[in-house]
Amino acid sequence: MNMANDEMSKIQELFDNLRADKYPLKKYQSIGKRGVRRLDGYEKATGAAKYTMDVQLPGMLYARFLTSPYPHAEIKSMDTSRAEALPGVRAVLRYDDPELPPTADLGAHELSAVPVLPKVAHFQGQEVGAIVAADSEEIAEQALKLIEVEWEERPFVLDMEEALEPGAPLADPESYPDGNVYNQGIDVEEHGDVEKGFAEADKIIEFKFRQGLNTWVGPERPCGVFRWNGEYPEVWVKQQHPHICKRVIASWFGGIPMNKIQIHCLYQGASFGGWSQMPWNMGGHYCAAVIAKRTGRPVKWMFNRREDFYGGEMDEGVYYFKVGAKLDGTITAVKGRAVFANQTMPVFGFVRHLIDNTRIPNVYGKTEAVKVNKGPTVPVRCEQNPNCHSLTLVFNHVADALGLDPIEVALKNDGAHGHDIAWLNSRKAEMGFQVRDSLKECIEKGRAAIGWDEKWHAPGTKKLPNGKMHGLGFTWTHEWDDSAGSSEMAIRIERNDGTATILGCRSDVGVNAETAYCQVAADELGMRIEDVHYRPQIDAGFFTMTPDSSTNMSVNGFAIRNAARLLKRKILEAATSPRGVTQRGSAPPAFPGKKPEELDIKDSVIYEKANPSNRRTLAKFVGYSGAMGPISSPRGEPLPSPGEKGVSYPFTAPLFEYGWQVQLGAYAGARLRLCRQAHFMEVEVDTETGEVDVARVVTVNDVGRVINWEGCEGQQYGGAYMGVGRGRSEEVVHDPMTGVMLNGNLLNYKVPTMLDIGRIDTILVETGMGYGPYGVVGIAEDVATVIPALISPAIHNAIGKWVDGFPATPDKVLKALGKT
Amino acid sequence: MAQLDKKVPISEEEISLVVNGDLYEVRVQPNWTLQYVLHNELGLTGTKEFCNDGACGACAVILEERAVLSCMTLAIECDGKTIETIEGIARANHPLIEAYVKHSCMQCGYCTPGFVVTAKALLDRNPKPTEEEVQEALVGNLCRCGTYPQHIKAVLEAASK
Repeated sequence: MNMANDEMSKIQELFDNLRADKYPLKKYQSIGKRGVRRLDGYEKATGAAKYTMDVQLPGMLYARFLTSPYPHAEIKSMDTSRAEALPGVRAVLRYDDPELPPTADLGAHELSAVPVLPKVAHFQGQEVGAIVAADSEEIAEQALKLIEVEWEERPFVLDMEEALEPGAPLADPESYPDGNVYNQGIDVEEHGDVEKGFAEADKIIEFKFRQGLNTWVGPERPCGVFRWNGEYPEVWVKQQHPHICKRVIASWFGGIPMNKIQIHCLYQGASFGGWSQMPWNMGGHYCAAVIAKRTGRPVKWMFNRREDFYGGEMDEGVYYFKVGAKLDGTITAVKGRAVFANQTMPVFGFVRHLIDNTRIPNVYGKTEAVKVNKGPTVPVRCEQNPNCHSLTLVFNHVADALGLDPIEVALKNDGAHGHDIAWLNSRKAEMGFQVRDSLKECIEKGRAAIGWDEKWHAPGTKKLPNGKMHGLGFTWTHEWDDSAGSSEMAIRIERNDGTATILGCRSDVGVNAETAYCQVAADELGMRIEDVHYRPQIDAGFFTMTPDSSTNMSVNGFAIRNAARLLKRKILEAATSPRGVTQRGSAPPAFPGKKPEELDIKDSVIYEKANPSNRRTLAKFVGYSGAMGPISSPRGEPLPSPGEKGVSYPFTAPLFEYGWQVQLGAYAGARLRLCRQAHFMEVEVDTETGEVDVARVVTVNDVGRVINWEGCEGQQYGGAYMGVGRGRSEEVVHDPMTGVMLNGNLLNYKVPTMLDIGRIDTILVETGMGYGPYGVVGIAEDVATVIPALISPAIHNAIGKWVDGFPATPDKVLKALGKT
Repeated sequence: MAQLDKKVPISEEEISLVVNGDLYEVRVQPNWTLQYVLHNELGLTGTKEFCNDGACGACAVILEERAVLSCMTLAIECDGKTIETIEGIARANHPLIEAYVKHSCMQCGYCTPGFVVTAKALLDRNPKPTEEEVQEALVGNLCRCGTYPQHIKAVLEAASK
């Protein structure tokens, strides 16, 4: 077997990796080093970074949708003549246009056929009936007001429990004629026998909580641009999944070949999963495509700010729990039921973490997903929210009921699938991991940072000099960002200067993964980090995970590593082979008489291991582009160096390689969760006003191995802010009488500001127990998802009462205190 | 079809703006915001629209030495005035830029220019701010990615240059 084949077999061995990385690097240069300059930093700091909303093309039209004023209504008739007559209006596309098919594939995680321009609205604010394209957005907006619609209002239901009651209005009779709870929405997860577990318990604890609707608030509005270049589309997508967008577009208008579609996926004004997961998220593009064809002009479609608020995170629900525990904190059984609103993705359940992460032998959770007349909910950083809320509240209620420190309860129940930590440790060893107690390590670091041992007190017992009540909270779970996915990436060595360009089409969502890929490529190739670059916006044909399916580095990291390892082999083989072979002769190898394995690359220089002075820079080795063939001309091109004979400028073959990775991930139940995270929060509660100040958050994540420090810490900071917002202030509110959303703006939907958390400590733990390359597991979804419910035990520790709803706004705190 | 006689008369006006030291003469409609004119008419796309409600600071520019929200400012009121946008701050190679890159103050980056502009206005009037003064100056800027702690480090570092 030659070395390239050997490398390939190692690569294939780690596809769908179910063990410790067998082939990590022996030495790291840029990986794990602080201060690696982020690739997009200057562009973003200077305002030069371009987003889809910034795109302006010659002759471009601006398109906006009609939206429903009612939460549930059907269009009986529509008169668009006044809108069409408004100067500057170039097209009005209607739901009854003969060119619109009944349904089309309009995106989501996979293709899903839905109406392009529906005539029935199932929530107030839904895009229905018409889209207007005009010379400016302002004219389009004016024109929308001139559309006269005869609506048939239908009864509606907003509350998920009311939607379950007999005789409740049907929220979506078009899709769910038999009832608001639907078969695909019922999900049961269980192991063991909960009744047996309750019988073994010393104490039974029952509680309920309600999670309000929160949303992503992407700074850049949902938008897109569609242009036909002759017969073929050129499309700018504000989307996390450019590969799915392209696949979707290819299914339109009787089919468009993939190679005729050009996609631009510019920087994204953040979306955290959200919009890209909607089954209708390409509806704007479909309409824009039709209008662009009719008018011969490019079309930018967009939502307004309010319209971005209609989608939400899929944890809105009511959760009921019954928990059995022994007096020492050993949990014997957990039984739960949760009713969720409008989950449009497959239901993920809410007790999964109690199964995956603990030794609790008996767990049962039944999910009922119910349709109501509010916007769709999808994973928003991320679908694990309900699981994290459940784990946090189950563990803290147990600790409270038994008078125990919640840290003790966590350590006592840590494990996996009903087995204890000793069992999990033996699995770690079998899979080749170094056996580390991740939870214990995270807790030790976090409890020292926040001063847990000095500050922990019985609930409701510590009044601060400022008159507020002091509270401390703790929670934990596993790290999960390493799930299913496939990724392709390639690397090309540039002529002239020997720098490396990574090729891959993905969406930049801001997590600085692009720099991390460069770090992997640089260290694997032996190149300087500044010699490697990646512009993910290029439609290069290699479709790279974008954080989707909760996966980035654990799949993409392998793909880029595989590409780099194969490319390095190729470079060293080329360096030891004759070059510039033509009919007039050839040039000897750059390293004559050497074998690839006798060479290595360091700092972008190829050298002989036994004789490092025998060296050649990559730049010199790959040579020049264009005219620099094997034949040097006497004019206009460099002449042979003095003393050199024959072919002086040998032309190496292009140096290019690709890598890929595929894995089933955790959703297929394939992986035991090994890395843990632990979070601590300190609050001050004003018992007069119900106001909760978050004084401090300590966030500890075992990411296996840190590739990019600033990127990981950025996710901890950002997750803490988003988590505190979700837990404390963020809720999309609907008027119960009219079904109209009341706070679709940044003034009334309270996103955290700089002053909303007193201090955040970020701690990273590296146990190497991730399944990704070098032992990594991702971090970006985790903190924002685990932190929200943590505010509840922190408040409980302050006031001695449980707040039974999120966000824990002052009214709910006062209610818990019995003051309302 | 559109009919010419139904055209709504709009009293456009030509105004002069000095943006980043360059003179622009631009015809504006009376309801156009300064953000719209900078972003769509002058192509200075670093001035971002986020909330469009005066609630987030993404559209901040320096108008006559004071940070203002350009989504809440009518362009027509800025006739003859001097404006500095993120592009001007970048062109001058202000130390904030490199400090922002070094401290990784951005994730998606959409709100970042608004922060830099607000911080520049702070440093113009208070070259050596305390940590609290930096927080107070930037508290009106929203970052959904939650990069806040990194901004404080960067602004204090730029102030020390």
